Amino acid sequence: MKLSVVKAYVLKELSEIVRSRLIIMVYLMPTMVLVLFGYGIRMEVTGARTLIIDYDQSHYSRLLIEKFAHSKYFTVQKELRLESEALDAIHRAQSDVVIIIPESFEKRLLHGQKIQIGVFVDTAFPMRGSTIESYVKGVVLNAASAIQERMLDRDAHTIAINQRTLFNQAMRDEDAIVPGLIGLVLLIAPAILAALLIVKEKEKGTIFNFYASALSKAEFIAAKLIPVFFLHSINIFILFLWATYWFDVPFRGSFWLYWIASELYLVISLSIGMLISIVTRTQIVAVVLTVIVTIIPGFLYSGILMPISSMVGFSRYEAHIFPVMYYNHILYDVFLVGEGLASAKTQLYLFILAFYGLFLMGLGSLILKKELR
Amino acid sequence: MRLVVRDVSVFHKNRLGIAHANFEANEGEIVGFIGADGAGKSSLIHAIAGVIACKGEIVFDNHTYRSCKEAEPLKARIGLMPQGIGLVLYDMLTVSEHLRFFADIHDLVQNEAFETYKTRLLQMAGLEKFQDRQAGKLSGGMMQKLSLICTLLHRPKLLLLDEPTTGVDPLSRIELWEILEEIRRSEGTICLISTAYMQEAAKMDKILLFDEQKIIAQGTSEALLQTVESLCYDPGTPCVEPCIKTLQTLYTLTPLASKSTQTPTLEALFFVNALKNDKTMPPIVLSDKEKSDFDGDVLMDAKGLTKRFGTFVANDNVDITLKKGEILGLLGANGAGKTTFIKMLLGLYPIDGGELRLLGKTIQTPQDRQALKASIGYVSQHFALYNDMSVQENLLYFASMRGLPSETAKERIKRYAQELGFENYLNALPPELPLGINQRFSLASALLHEPVILFLDEPTSGVDAIARAQFWELLKCLKEKWKIAILITTHYMSEAEFCDRVVLMRQGAKIADDTIEGFYAKHPQAHTFEEIFLEYFR
Repeated sequence: MKLSVVKAYVLKELSEIVRSRLIIMVYLMPTMVLVLFGYGIRMEVTGARTLIIDYDQSHYSRLLIEKFAHSKYFTVQKELRLESEALDAIHRAQSDVVIIIPESFEKRLLHGQKIQIGVFVDTAFPMRGSTIESYVKGVVLNAASAIQERMLDRDAHTIAINQRTLFNQAMRDEDAIVPGLIGLVLLIAPAILAALLIVKEKEKGTIFNFYASALSKAEFIAAKLIPVFFLHSINIFILFLWATYWFDVPFRGSFWLYWIASELYLVISLSIGMLISIVTRTQIVAVVLTVIVTIIPGFLYSGILMPISSMVGFSRYEAHIFPVMYYNHILYDVFLVGEGLASAKTQLYLFILAFYGLFLMGLGSLILKKELR
Repeated sequence: MRLVVRDVSVFHKNRLGIAHANFEANEGEIVGFIGADGAGKSSLIHAIAGVIACKGEIVFDNHTYRSCKEAEPLKARIGLMPQGIGLVLYDMLTVSEHLRFFADIHDLVQNEAFETYKTRLLQMAGLEKFQDRQAGKLSGGMMQKLSLICTLLHRPKLLLLDEPTTGVDPLSRIELWEILEEIRRSEGTICLISTAYMQEAAKMDKILLFDEQKIIAQGTSEALLQTVESLCYDPGTPCVEPCIKTLQTLYTLTPLASKSTQTPTLEALFFVNALKNDKTMPPIVLSDKEKSDFDGDVLMDAKGLTKRFGTFVANDNVDITLKKGEILGLLGANGAGKTTFIKMLLGLYPIDGGELRLLGKTIQTPQDRQALKASIGYVSQHFALYNDMSVQENLLYFASMRGLPSETAKERIKRYAQELGFENYLNALPPELPLGINQRFSLASALLHEPVILFLDEPTSGVDAIARAQFWELLKCLKEKWKIAILITTHYMSEAEFCDRVVLMRQGAKIADDTIEGFYAKHPQAHTFEEIFLEYFR
């Protein structure tokens, strides 16, 4: 491999990327994806619109209502209405939850009798619905133990939960989503650019300069991938800054680990782009194919939406086939856990990433043909 | 240093590219590949350049190869310029950046000798003043010259140029040939050049004629012409079959008794070859049209038509009139504004300035146009046919688009199929048809509604000599029988001679407008129309 030849090609690519303004996309797209998705994906539910019908109007029923009113997860709307009217409000999507406190609520409580509270939850979105449902249960349990305490004197020994969360103490969505998004962005953006750079020459016809000259396959691949590698290496830092400064995601691990793992991951992404450019002929097909090949597994198997450990059967194998899972494990480690290379799993995953990159790169240079087809 | 090509065949997947090609070339020789699109020229050039695998063997500089891998060590000594204007150039790079890039990828030592050679090339190409201009902003001719000097930069001993002059303005074409002439003399380079222009054959040491994936003849221009000299006669000469008659010449296989005033051209070889293989195309007869004529003499009158794209003026104040029963040729290089002009006439582009009258009516609104659509026929540069519909279905579709009753349409399609000789292909799909048949049926689709004006945008480019000759015969027939007015663009100068009147265009402006006789009268020293054309470009 002659370095001067590669250098000439790399310089040409860089000046083309700058002059064609592709450079704007290189730096705008990752940031845009991070910001849009970082704000757009919300798992937790706050301020569910709650309609409470209190048929009892007693001291204890008001205590229960107060518990809902004081929770950040609920916004209590109106307290008196007909039952049918309340259900209608759910139908018209004006409320998310309807809670009905029956008559003689207090009386039965004081007599130690069983009481049933009516709860209606809108579960058109199952995830949101089940989240609200569990919040309601929590608030009711909380109120029940408070009431019990009052009735049986101060020192009653009921079960109290003393919970502590680890790694994401505030349970912020940003902390859970933004690192995963970095894994997604660094898979898509470099792959698209790498695919474009090779297919562009095929589409225009300048690929003949490669076919008809003494340029070797290795030189050509190096010339095409090196500029993308360097341009996107900068994105590794940019994305880091967005995550830690803009989204306030903590960073507890080693920056070196983050950096090296990201560069390895970049090589994988480039190789995917290269493989796609080998099988496609036009830029538009290359972009669409890259997006399909990277975004779908990037999203599904990154652990953003669903933890890999909870996957079963085929999807579990699939998750292990795509590289996203390994990189995202390291990402969550460096951002939230901070265990670093002390974890055997992280070591293994880093090794897998390196192997993955080498394998794809080797495959690409093997099937790239220096001949017209 | 010698190039020997032995029994070379190339396949693209399962499609045959070229079959059993044999030829030899010596140091400093220019070998010309002449033939229509798809005749196999590019396939052979690609095989010799080592960018596609082939069967048989190619020997260059005592090195034998047939696959791309085997050719690899030779690539430093081979230069390839593939087909397409500016194909190997990067639009965003400047002229000097191109030269540096090509020097670098060939790993050339950039010493003083190299600089001198580079400057010489730049001067030959007339590009030394444009070194800072980006390639995307050069004219087609300049792009081709830049591609050529980039290909010459590493001093290849074998130069392969695939249609370097197609679509290039005539002056640039001459300059390209001058560069080649000088390089082969000073460097002893073997040059293989393909072209669709028969006239360029005169500059070649040896000619290979391509037809339907075969080399049908080879030798020097004189020797080849000698073989057909006794087979070309004046069109009026009586002849027994087999023979082919065109507007200018009659070709036969057996020498006739009568005297011939013809000087044969290389095209004759294609006709003779067709005769030998019994591949004559079905003759054309045309019956009268059903609709009555438009009365009035001037069918189209454009005054000061202007079209701008941003700051670029594609058509600048063009005045052209078209009379009934007239074939008007619009000639110019690629990018001269021919297609833009036709698209304005058709209403495909809005007119930015000037006045257009069609069939005596001034065109101002789209409604004006709508009323005239039934009188206008159009065949575009790339025949706008649907490739997944059969010929019959395509024609029915065009007919119903024109609002023709389906009974009339069916009856006319049947008649045209007989008259224009594509009856056997009615159920075939357009991609399966020979280019010449495709062209006839495109024309038929434009004739279904019996227009009084016909606009044809480069209908003959890439089509072989025989189909072209017959196409012109058909146009002449249309003109005489239907009194139809035809506006046709072409870049074959030889075709200008078949037109009644010719308009020359250059950089969006009209530079000359006269009858053929008028042009020859103004330029008495010229022998061919090409020479006249050149006068206007100097």
